[in-house]
Amino acid sequence: MIEALGVSRAFGPKEVVSGLDLKVPGGTIHALLGPNGAGKTTVLRMLAGLTSPTGGTVRVLDGDPVTREIRARIGWIPSGDRSFYLRLSGRENLVFFARLYGMSLRTARERSDELLEKVDLVEAARQPARLYSHGMQKRLVIARGLLTDPPVLIVDEATHDLDPTSAQNVRSLVTEASSTGAAVVWATQRLEEIRSFAHDVTVLGRGDVRFSGGVDKLVKRALNRTYEIQLVNGFAPLPLIESNLVGLAELSAHPFYSDRFLLHLGSGTALSDVFQGIERAGAKVHSCAEARSDIEEAFLHLTAEDNDD
Amino acid sequence: MTNAGTRGTSEMNKLFAFVRRDVLVLLSYRLAFLADIANLAFQSVTFYFVSLMVNPAAMPEYGGTTATYMAFVGIGIAFGAFMQIGLGRVVSAIRNEQVLGTLESLFMTPTRPLTLQVGLVVYDLIYVPIRTGIFLGIVMGVFGVRFDPGAVAPALAVLFLFIPMVWGLGMLGAGAVLTFRRGGGIVGFVGAAVSVASGAYFPLDLLPERLAAILSLSPVAVAFDAARRTLIGGEGWAEISGGLIYLAASAIVSLAIGLWAVRAAILRERRMGTLSHY
Repeated sequence: MIEALGVSRAFGPKEVVSGLDLKVPGGTIHALLGPNGAGKTTVLRMLAGLTSPTGGTVRVLDGDPVTREIRARIGWIPSGDRSFYLRLSGRENLVFFARLYGMSLRTARERSDELLEKVDLVEAARQPARLYSHGMQKRLVIARGLLTDPPVLIVDEATHDLDPTSAQNVRSLVTEASSTGAAVVWATQRLEEIRSFAHDVTVLGRGDVRFSGGVDKLVKRALNRTYEIQLVNGFAPLPLIESNLVGLAELSAHPFYSDRFLLHLGSGTALSDVFQGIERAGAKVHSCAEARSDIEEAFLHLTAEDNDD
Repeated sequence: MTNAGTRGTSEMNKLFAFVRRDVLVLLSYRLAFLADIANLAFQSVTFYFVSLMVNPAAMPEYGGTTATYMAFVGIGIAFGAFMQIGLGRVVSAIRNEQVLGTLESLFMTPTRPLTLQVGLVVYDLIYVPIRTGIFLGIVMGVFGVRFDPGAVAPALAVLFLFIPMVWGLGMLGAGAVLTFRRGGGIVGFVGAAVSVASGAYFPLDLLPERLAAILSLSPVAVAFDAARRTLIGGEGWAEISGGLIYLAASAIVSLAIGLWAVRAAILRERRMGTLSHY
């Protein structure tokens, strides 16, 4: 349904997306993950036909997303609040856009009411959009994106700044759309939400694809986590420390920080036993913190150089 | 109904949606309509007092009838209002959508660019004739100005050609706003300059002869002149046919350039990826 082949986009001399390949079949949710400035929004805009790629091709529903016929079948959910007429009520905003999608006034009203109920905005339906909170406006954007039951949904940071319940509701709506056959591309920085929500993920870093595949595969690429420790009086050689930890835990060099180690506890091992083993080797534990979640670790690892800047 | 027919109906329904949207926005401002009508009344009173200071001998003749200043300026203001829609509103409407952040959402709907352009100002296209009618009603009813009843059809023909002519210029301005973001100020200046330099408020004959000769070639001046000749002087189709042909040719050229400008601007914005920037 959505296909990008070797897609690049440059703004002047700066290439913000480079060599992106993406295939999103119907009924799946594909997450675009990356830090700020990774090129996620630019990718979404190219998929929606709002920005032309400078290289490669984008096909949506076997057509060019720039054409009206294809655009009519894309649900576009932009980030940011500014996309409504603030003097009009939420309902009237939806009715107006529904009519631009070709619905009669009656159908537009019925569909708008249906969606306002889905996004839990019935009570505020007749209030001017300018009185809506950030979260309410976000839900209104979602409702507009779903007006035509589109077979393609392009979603940019839909849960950014939403409280957990609202975010979960938004994800449920998108999951529902996907389960009825829609192809969804979902850009986010919220790592924890893609697990058990997205099927596939593309990790972007400075416009380059750092990873592309199933979410489970991304998690598998994560380092086995447990604790991140920092040692003092660390003249003791690593092999000596490790020999004192046999049967208790495994120690390995931290991938990003030279003065830290990753400690993988064996089952049933108490931290105090490990600390004693380290002390026996002539070193002391200066600090010990639970390592990040596996998926977060994988993400940071894949985008490490972007975050170092 | 054919596919083309269905599409046409659908695009027409979208225009109704724009009208409904703008009426609802207007209702949210409650006093705006009344303030506008009050403004019209004040404008009429102002020009009435200006007319008392104007030397009738300085006024031009149309079809053997010397124009009163109120009749002269009334037509200038009425046509000027349509010029404001074509030139000013097409541009400012696109700019408003850019600033509101709704332009991109509009472009994401399967609506033709031409429908969008017309839709953004369709409310004005309905409201301004009503407003102009009210203005002319005040001018005729309160200040005793008389227009030739038989001149209504030729005057409407002038208007019919005048609107697409200024519309084309407005689209050129809209293209500039999409590209440069700040083209609105230039368009506003051009609009005001064209109004003044085309004889909306005073006869061009008052200007130096050569300058007047050059300015009288402007399609806007031709439209003003044709409307006055028929409404004040009672001239018929035959007398104003030259002006109508000139206006028709100007409208074709202006629309062609305007359509090209908007199309080129939209393509550029897509290429640059800056449609939502303002």
